[in-house]
Amino acid sequence: MTSVLILNLAWQISTLALVALGLAIVFGKLRIMNMAHGEFVMIGAYAPVITSSLGLPGWLQLPVCLLTVAFVAFILERVVIRHLYGRMFDSLLATWGIAILLREAVELIFGRGYQSVSPPISGTLSVLGSDYPAYRIAVIIGIIIGFAALYWWNARSKVATRIKAMVGNPDLAEAIGINTARLSAGAFIFGCCTAGLAGLILAPTIRIEPMMGLDYLIRSFFALVVGGLGSLEGLGIGAGIIAGTQSFLGAVVSQTYGYLAVLTLSILFLWLKPDGIRSSSR
Amino acid sequence: MASVLLPVSLLLAVLLLIPELFGDFTAYQIGLYLIYGIAAQGIGFLWGKTGVLPLGQALFFGVAAYITAITLRAEGGLVLDLALAAGVLVIMAVFAFALAALIFRGRNESGPYFSLITLALVMIAEQIAGTATNLTGGFNGMSGFQSLGNLDPFGGFYYVIVTATVAVSLLLFILNRLPVNLIARAVANNEPRLQLLGFPTHAVKGAVFAFSAVIAALAGGLFASHQGIVTPTSTGFALSAEMVILAAVGGRFHVLGPLIGAVIVGWASAELRDSFPYWELLMAVAFILVVLKAPGGIAELLESAYRRFRPVGTTVPKPAIVAPKPRNGVAKSRLQFDDVKLSIGFVRILNGVSFETPATGIVSVIGPNGAGKTSALNTITGNLRLTSGSISLGDTRIDSRPPHMALGVGIGRKLQVPSVFFSMSVSENLSIAMMANRAGLIDLFRPTTFQWRSKPLADLLEHPSVPLQEELVQPVEHLPQGHRQFLEYAMTIAAEPPVLLLDEPCAGLSPDETGLMTDLVRDYQADTGGLVIVIEHDMSIVEAISDKVLVLHLGQVLAFDTFDKVRSNPDVQVVYAGGTK
Amino acid sequence: MTALLEIDTLTGGYRDTNVLFDVSAHIEAGSVLGVFGRNGVGKTTLARLVQGGLHPVHGDIRLNGRSVGDLPAHARRGQGIGYMPQTSMVFDDLTVRENLTLGNAREETETYFDRFPRLAERLDQPAGTMSGGERKILAFVRTMIEDTQVIILDEPSEGVQPENIDHMAECLKERALAGAGILLCEQNLSFLTGVSNWFLGLDAGRVVLNKLASEVPASELRSILSL
Repeated sequence: MTSVLILNLAWQISTLALVALGLAIVFGKLRIMNMAHGEFVMIGAYAPVITSSLGLPGWLQLPVCLLTVAFVAFILERVVIRHLYGRMFDSLLATWGIAILLREAVELIFGRGYQSVSPPISGTLSVLGSDYPAYRIAVIIGIIIGFAALYWWNARSKVATRIKAMVGNPDLAEAIGINTARLSAGAFIFGCCTAGLAGLILAPTIRIEPMMGLDYLIRSFFALVVGGLGSLEGLGIGAGIIAGTQSFLGAVVSQTYGYLAVLTLSILFLWLKPDGIRSSSR
Repeated sequence: MASVLLPVSLLLAVLLLIPELFGDFTAYQIGLYLIYGIAAQGIGFLWGKTGVLPLGQALFFGVAAYITAITLRAEGGLVLDLALAAGVLVIMAVFAFALAALIFRGRNESGPYFSLITLALVMIAEQIAGTATNLTGGFNGMSGFQSLGNLDPFGGFYYVIVTATVAVSLLLFILNRLPVNLIARAVANNEPRLQLLGFPTHAVKGAVFAFSAVIAALAGGLFASHQGIVTPTSTGFALSAEMVILAAVGGRFHVLGPLIGAVIVGWASAELRDSFPYWELLMAVAFILVVLKAPGGIAELLESAYRRFRPVGTTVPKPAIVAPKPRNGVAKSRLQFDDVKLSIGFVRILNGVSFETPATGIVSVIGPNGAGKTSALNTITGNLRLTSGSISLGDTRIDSRPPHMALGVGIGRKLQVPSVFFSMSVSENLSIAMMANRAGLIDLFRPTTFQWRSKPLADLLEHPSVPLQEELVQPVEHLPQGHRQFLEYAMTIAAEPPVLLLDEPCAGLSPDETGLMTDLVRDYQADTGGLVIVIEHDMSIVEAISDKVLVLHLGQVLAFDTFDKVRSNPDVQVVYAGGTK
Repeated sequence: MTALLEIDTLTGGYRDTNVLFDVSAHIEAGSVLGVFGRNGVGKTTLARLVQGGLHPVHGDIRLNGRSVGDLPAHARRGQGIGYMPQTSMVFDDLTVRENLTLGNAREETETYFDRFPRLAERLDQPAGTMSGGERKILAFVRTMIEDTQVIILDEPSEGVQPENIDHMAECLKERALAGAGILLCEQNLSFLTGVSNWFLGLDAGRVVLNKLASEVPASELRSILSL
């Protein structure tokens, strides 16, 4: 029983970390308060619905997901986001509009009802004496490997530094030769694609519907707030605390108390430690 | 006054005509839009001026709605209802002020954190409203109560809403014409500068937030009475966001903007919802377009259209009034550093600095780049907190106080990179500076405060070589760096501080302008007989103005003496030869 | 033979206000063009127009005879035009080392650390924690070590102690000797006259003097600068 609890916790934490990763880039690095983040998760989750309705083979889910999300993100960056760098509250408003737009568009195409898809890996694995869905275990391992690779790459690449430089002082970044338009568009699209990927991965385990994004958006925001914007370790810790609190209290007391605890925790962090739990070691 | 009475009476006339022209049902609908519009007006006021964006305004709206519902259910009579309502508004104001002031204390930005806190609060409220079934009726909400004073929501209650709308608008129009408006806008512009002018910006933001909360609560009370039902969505995140959208679409910089936004958006969605399947798409696109192309919203578009055939007339400046004496009555006193140490992270910036200045005269601070000169001034004004040691002015210990208290003890500060209110005009900048250390709370609500002038400032502006007089109406953001130096200097001396801290006032000035600036500084010191501390690299200037010279090196005092003695000090010569422009 | 950088009847400014009108000048390889004038005459605007932060209303800028007037700033940097702004001249959130290594460096920083040893001591410190003068020095060194042919400097000496201004002058002369063309906007006359081969005087956005430095007496400089 406890091993199921632990595996559930690992599932919640790892998927939240993946969901929040894109927002960590777009909000944490680019300072765009992307209220449409959850909608990119939602679009990613519709990818298997698209492939099955078009009769495409299952292995096309991933390319369809990434291409769709990247295309939408590319257009939106070009038309809207590009004008909003350095205008955080305006970015919040405009992306709120984008979120409505995307929800409505998906609703027009796929309807308001729930969709569900089956996981590519079925069956269960026996872990520490309990049976647990094999798909979820594969996802947990995959996310851990993915984050390790990202951490390794991030420590060696200059991209994070260039983004930090660009956001802190865009004029100077241009003056030293950084193509800020391309760099910010690239970072935005990459962030949205990770959100889409998270949606695709979550799709077999949830009910897919146009309104599903909001909850992911809010939990991502609070994970970032608690963990601190700007570092991958912080993102992991934030996801751990938010998902951990919510699923632990949800299992032991009730969903409502888990939710209230997360909100209260977030307020305390925003007030007393606005740079998140990692701020002291910066 | 015409600019206040004209739009307000126009508003009143339009609102009174609605039931006559379109009937009671339309008036009922418009009434609801107006209620949302009132709450959005509060958001617009807070966000448009101070730059603080509240994402949880439905907290006040919804809680007030629930309390109103409970009160009306109890049927205690109109007088009791109104008394309770007044009490609720006061409690909301105190709560909102305390919340914002606590969170903003010690910070000088309005970034996203406060907004996210208000968001989390409203989500908590929505959750509680949905689950505390005994108190709130849970998801079904509370209903079964009469409207306030038993007025008909489809009849007489409309006029209550109209009264509230007109009253709130009138109040906002009046506030816009008072000095307090300038202070609120200055918060969004440059908080550190406003603090150095002695204004506690966290309290300013707290007060404006409390004001907007009261307006939201007022709207919430009207809502309960008007709708006869209150559900958790009334205190929810979605409503909060919608009210922000109303303010944004209508125009947050204009009093009537949010009202216009509320009525247009409300009417459009009521009309289009059933007949046009893509109406929400359309609304989303329209909203994005407003954010991108018209950040001032519909109100600004209307105003610029109106201005096209009726341009703004030139206003004749009102005659100057002699400003009251500045508050800092501190007697001339010596500034004393006692073993001051300062570290930021691993970096040690000041390493045991001790010195005592005379109570009057000009002290120049020189030293190599990175010696700790600016940091020393930052510890005096409280922008940096000491690691250890103490700083006193006379007998008063002044270290580790927040920066907004520096001017109160008589310390004025000009920063290294000119720090002014960038999106305001030169004369608005000077008006704020004239209020610094002079205006009491009441003065911020008196229009005559705008006319204050003091002799030192007037002399400075009328000086033939000072460039500011011709630039009074210009926005500061287009002034060249050197003119900003003069402006910030003027703003700093306007408060007539007995202790004046100047950080490289001649940086970026031409030789002639440098000569002018040093003359101004010398004259100010002679007129006030106070203490001036100047950071300067140019040795000819240092020689010309200094009574004493403080040499800092590696965070320590290398020498503190007259210019000649410092110049001939071999220790100083080793690290700092000096030169001239 | 064409000059390294030609500024051809350049007009421009901010949004709808032009600050600069029909300014023409040229910089030869190996020379320093000293731009001077009172506050507000358009020095910073000229620097920004040449560097690409602002776009000209009309007129052109040519590097080695090729027009760069339509290129964005990062592309002009790619073509070899380096720039040190007057304000916000470093990345405050980045360390000193990151500030120095983020752009394409032409050479090692070691030679500059001999002249400005404080930088070497502070390599791992965020640039924003340094003093104003130190940040100027950091920005100056960053601009000097880049692989550029043209270097635009906007008030590099502001807030810098006199010894370090002398070091800056030495660096500029060396860089010019190595073939770079330098556009220097400065208020500090002794620094300006010490390094410039050619003077460009501006007043109210127009050229009032454009001469070989040796032909301009100090009195003429001062009269243009007087209030």
